[in-house]
Amino acid sequence: MKDLLRLRTSLTEEIETLLNEQIKVEAYSSSLYLAMSSWCDRNGYDNSAGYLEKQSGEEREHMLKLFRYVNDLGGSAVSPEVINIPQEFDSFKGVFEMALQQEIQVTSNFNRIADRCQKANDYVTFQFLQWFLKEQVEEEYVARRILELFEVIGEEGTGRWEIDKHIPKVSFGISGE
Amino acid sequence: MQAKINTHLIEIFKTEFGSIYQCDQTNHFILEYAGRFTAFKPTNFIDFTKRVFAINLHDMASNTARHADIAILMPLYTETCFLLTMSDTIRLQRILGGAKTILHLNTLLKTSQLQFA
Ligand SMILES: [Fe+2]
Ligand SMILES: [Fe+2]
Repeated sequence: MKDLLRLRTSLTEEIETLLNEQIKVEAYSSSLYLAMSSWCDRNGYDNSAGYLEKQSGEEREHMLKLFRYVNDLGGSAVSPEVINIPQEFDSFKGVFEMALQQEIQVTSNFNRIADRCQKANDYVTFQFLQWFLKEQVEEEYVARRILELFEVIGEEGTGRWEIDKHIPKVSFGISGE
Repeated sequence: MQAKINTHLIEIFKTEFGSIYQCDQTNHFILEYAGRFTAFKPTNFIDFTKRVFAINLHDMASNTARHADIAILMPLYTETCFLLTMSDTIRLQRILGGAKTILHLNTLLKTSQLQFA
């Protein structure tokens, strides 16, 4: 008797479902950052608006990377339905607090998927996930650094204007340069 | 056409109400339920199983509106339209769930054979 399910794809149903859920989360991140970009734009934080728009594009790339992987392995990638994107935010700082929270959530998702891959002996997907785990170190670092600007520069006076100017310059691995 | 399908069937799981077969020649799964045969490609078979398990039995039982007595499944990959009462749904869930377990066992068996060969 042939193993028809295995002939279809090397992904187990469980891993395929987890990857499709993560496709949805990345799509959510992408839409969330775009909403944040719009909020920053209409509140006068032009540089942050540009930065968040770029982030939104990167999240879409993450989504597509997962999407293509599922299809390449013979699975069925599902085009995600994204709802409940907040359009209003408490404050300039609140935007970046939420961004950090989102990144932390994504990191824990990838850890969970990696854990399930090991338990299911799916080392191919486990290997594939390494890129995302590394990427998350960078994403969390940048989000934390941005929040620190609010402390270091301070929000009083022209503080927010100054913070906005610095946000696009924050990047991973430039310390010491 | 039906006879041709039937020649290479391997029974995967059977209850008193229906069964699932696998056809190694066409690489299809075949559901036999209420005297009807429906063939599925593996991807669609998984999707169909998900849809049947997604039917809200609780809602069917508690909602008094007449439309809630029947679940309608019209997957585009089959020509069949499934009109399912609550007991149909429970029966199909048992058949499909049983088949899923057997297929999973088959995978485990195949992988361990490869490992110890
Ligand atoms: Fe991401
Ligand atoms: Fe991210």
